Amino acid sequence: MKALDVEGLTISEIAPLIRKKQISPLELTNCYFDRIRKLNPTLNAYLALTEEEAMAAARRAEREIAKGNYRGPLHGIPFSIKDNIATKGVTTTAGSKILSDWVPDFDATVVERLKQAGAIILGKTNMHEWAKGSNSINPFYGTSYNPWDKTRIPGGSSGGSAVAVAASLCPASLGTDSAGSVRNPASLCGVVGLKPTLGRISVFGGVAGTGGYTVNHFGILTKTVKDCALVLGHIAGHDPKDPLSSNEPVPNYTKPIGIPVRGMKVGIIKGGYFEECLTSEVRRGFEEALKMLKALRIKIREITIPHMDLVPALQAASTRPEANSDHDHYLRTRPRDYSPGLLYGLIAGLLIPAPVYVTAQRVRRLLCQEFDTAFEKVQAIVAPTLFSTAPTIEDCNRGYIEADGKRINLADRAGNFLTRYTIPFNVTGLPTISVCCGFSSSGLPIGMQISAPAFQEGRLFQVAHAYERAAEWYKRRPQL
Amino acid sequence: MKDAVRKLNIEYGFNLTEQEIDTVAKQAEEAALLFQPLFEVDIADIAPLTKVDKRVKPPTIKKGKK
Repeated sequence: MKALDVEGLTISEIAPLIRKKQISPLELTNCYFDRIRKLNPTLNAYLALTEEEAMAAARRAEREIAKGNYRGPLHGIPFSIKDNIATKGVTTTAGSKILSDWVPDFDATVVERLKQAGAIILGKTNMHEWAKGSNSINPFYGTSYNPWDKTRIPGGSSGGSAVAVAASLCPASLGTDSAGSVRNPASLCGVVGLKPTLGRISVFGGVAGTGGYTVNHFGILTKTVKDCALVLGHIAGHDPKDPLSSNEPVPNYTKPIGIPVRGMKVGIIKGGYFEECLTSEVRRGFEEALKMLKALRIKIREITIPHMDLVPALQAASTRPEANSDHDHYLRTRPRDYSPGLLYGLIAGLLIPAPVYVTAQRVRRLLCQEFDTAFEKVQAIVAPTLFSTAPTIEDCNRGYIEADGKRINLADRAGNFLTRYTIPFNVTGLPTISVCCGFSSSGLPIGMQISAPAFQEGRLFQVAHAYERAAEWYKRRPQL
Repeated sequence: MKDAVRKLNIEYGFNLTEQEIDTVAKQAEEAALLFQPLFEVDIADIAPLTKVDKRVKPPTIKKGKK
């Protein structure tokens, strides 16, 4: 029998074949492991493989389906999990030296829910150290490489997850996003990345110290928007183990997919926030995407958010003290087990006065009100996901890129510049999805993010799917 | 700021070199400048954000016929 070609396969394509017993979960899982064995040595997407458990789960899925006990569209579907999400009996390092041998005795709620839906966990993906950065150059576990150009970063901190999806080393992955860590690598690797509304997905089982509390979200990386909607429907919902999780009912997220977007109003935020250092190639890609939205009869409107420029301060004033509250013990006992750059940042974070933190939380409410007001005029907001395409590893090590004849520093007073465009939706907690909106002249993916009011993920899927199908960028695959 | 870093260095036992103390102090000074504009915003009567809720629009009042 000819081996199954998993390259480019989506959940929406695989699931009906599994249900009809035309694909065996065991065969499917085997094919992914074959591909991982072939490509992971050069991509470094996975830190750990859980082959024994995965094959056992695949056999179980096969038996259940054979008996007519099909659980739903995730039954028999392989997933990867970012290494800061707890997995029972499997090392969960958070990309850190400190947790290099931590084996949780419990599953994060999202992992538990995936397993209940019959999904198969292939392994844990590489990430930026403690999720505190966005290039996935990890001093302890090595760099994950961008499948579109291996001299470049995949973004981060969920870099390994994005690489795994883009390179078809799994059809879907779970990541975390406290400053853009799902959308940023999704954009740089040309896949779909969703950060849902704060509280939509339980964050129970997320490694403490990898994302703070009030800006941290679990997210989903897939090849298509429909796959993302399918996964969200299975892992969203209230969790008594997570006090910040929401009681909002979980709708059928695939229902809005395919509903025409004609007449919808979409906003672009004026005032320069999303234009700072925007490279000409990303600008061109984004402008082409706007033209495509207009061709879909979406009306583009300009909106203003008066306190937009305070976003970097709000993000830093929120995440840094929250992270420090989790790292205090290790800072006292194992400070030299952090990479030097991260250690210095954490120590500087100890010097942020309490009134800064509280004031930031008050200004965040004001900012949320300003977005609420904007959403009275438009149903969604669009923006580039990042100011540039993927920088080279060398660019990141020297700290700047050169584009359009200018030098652009990758970090400034406000922190990491690679997250500047994504953090507005962390400090507001608004649901946001990144989709591929084109390629640069050198073949690197460009991302566009779409945001909607709180708990309106369905609207995101409606707009993103309409765009995705019209533009068809999702059909491109990296040459590996 | 350097004195504050030195104090933390002793309290936490970081064993930072002078060069490292300088690096951390500079980062903390930069952050302090970044946060300054937050105190210029009028946030009277605004409570801290603790979680995100679905926005419930106030009911629209239908005007009766004259």
